[in-house]
Amino acid sequence: MAIDITRPGKHNLQIATAVMPAAGTFGFGDRYRKLLDIRHLGALVTNPVSLQARAPARSGQAVPLDAGLLLHTGLPNPGLRKVLGRYRQLWASLPLPVILHLIGSSPRHIAQACQLLDEVEELAAVELGLPDDCELETALEWLQAAAQLEKPLLLRLPFSNCEALALPLAEAGADALVVAAPPRGTVRAPQTGRLVSGRVYGPLVKPLVLRMLGRLRREIPPDLPIIGCGGIHSPQDARDYLEAGAVAVQVDSATWLQPKMLERIARDLGGRMPTRQVDALLDEWHPDMGQTAVLERRPPAPQDD
Amino acid sequence: MRETQAYIERIKRVNRSVQRLELAVDPALAELKAGQALLVRAVDSNYDAPLWYPYMRALWFPVERGASHMLAFELPADAPYTPGQLLSLLGPVGQPLRFRHKLRSLLLIAYDSLPSPLLMILPAALKRGISLTLVLMGSAREYSTQHLPSEVEIFRADDDLAWPDMVMTVGWADQIVVVACQRQEDSRFARVRQLIERRRKDIPAQLLFGIWQRALPCGVGACHACMLREHGEYKLQCVHGPAFDLTAMG
Repeated sequence: MAIDITRPGKHNLQIATAVMPAAGTFGFGDRYRKLLDIRHLGALVTNPVSLQARAPARSGQAVPLDAGLLLHTGLPNPGLRKVLGRYRQLWASLPLPVILHLIGSSPRHIAQACQLLDEVEELAAVELGLPDDCELETALEWLQAAAQLEKPLLLRLPFSNCEALALPLAEAGADALVVAAPPRGTVRAPQTGRLVSGRVYGPLVKPLVLRMLGRLRREIPPDLPIIGCGGIHSPQDARDYLEAGAVAVQVDSATWLQPKMLERIARDLGGRMPTRQVDALLDEWHPDMGQTAVLERRPPAPQDD
Repeated sequence: MRETQAYIERIKRVNRSVQRLELAVDPALAELKAGQALLVRAVDSNYDAPLWYPYMRALWFPVERGASHMLAFELPADAPYTPGQLLSLLGPVGQPLRFRHKLRSLLLIAYDSLPSPLLMILPAALKRGISLTLVLMGSAREYSTQHLPSEVEIFRADDDLAWPDMVMTVGWADQIVVVACQRQEDSRFARVRQLIERRRKDIPAQLLFGIWQRALPCGVGACHACMLREHGEYKLQCVHGPAFDLTAMG
């Protein structure tokens, strides 16, 4: 059954399964192909891409936290033109829609990037990442700059300002909202002994975002789809988001911990999880086993004449 | 790159501060080469309920390859692992170390770090008749070396980071590989580079390598947390590393 993840209309985007990787966790489609079966995913959201190339943060690092991690990278990328040059062919060969996550520094850059992106047939949609400290005025300017885009436009809201931005952006014409970008945190970095800020990932993010998403669902028009993102580490976490009003979910750091978990969540929500046979031995079934493996291990018993 | 599971078969205490874990791994991972590592995380017997602490996968460099797909790892003695524990392994992470074709003398330096990432080099290098010197600096001096092959010449540097025959070992080395404390790699590598520069006329490219051990969230090049600059190009520790030419960094 197809799922509409954008507003109905000419820009509509439908996906087969309500699960996709979150921006910044999955690369550009080339990194996890050997580790999971991407055919089970509803879509692929790329790493953040800006119009101009961005260098990594000088003090970029991952800082382990209790039950989570803080990541400070500076969102490095080679720039939109190079990314398109490198990955267009790959995206064309993928069996699922590709959503490019666009980051900007000004409305002019957003407008230029959107002009380029409209010509890229391999992309099904664009997800615009709003900056962490984004004020409403800036967010509306960015949305307006992207208004010329013919492709569906998803807006990823910053965690810190999500509730203030959601309704005005919904009324201003966003095709879908992604709630939310990872919250920002500050920790003392063991490498330098200095305080470092970055994106926080981990299971504790889920209850925070889930509550926010539930409140937003009640506030914003029902025809505007919301995609939930934050702290999903199991199929049950994903179902919680759907119950709170999300049409689909994005899985973030769980993919790094257990790459197969992303596929497992997608198969579970898509109704394609092989059930454990009652007589299966301990090593004959595990949750990450695909249907093929089940069939290989358990050939049908020969029929008696 | 693949994700597999392995049980901890044996744990031996190497000395007061180091333990040795032996895992029977998937045949594909048993062929791990020096420089390559695994990202490891404890899981429960259903592979299901995630254990949240530690959250991130740990980077483990094997120290020895054994029979029957056995890989040995050395970890700090206080690392909380037990025999029979199930681990999820993601790997191989990174590229094998590149050695010169006509390598005759190899200098290995561990500075404030366990020398584990260097130990896989030993058997293959000894087989090729390469002269091996291991220098332990800073807190690495406490590392007990009794279990290492007797052909390896071992020095413990003094507080000024000098060791006997330093000029000769540095001067004769065809290649130098350094591993440093994970939290202060940049400063430690810079110090070693300075040290080598003082004792050699020049440091040609591909002579002095540092092995980076930064925390890796994904290990496959998706998260870009381990980006470094070598020869003016941005590279990823998990994909192109972990060894980078210390004269070309920055």
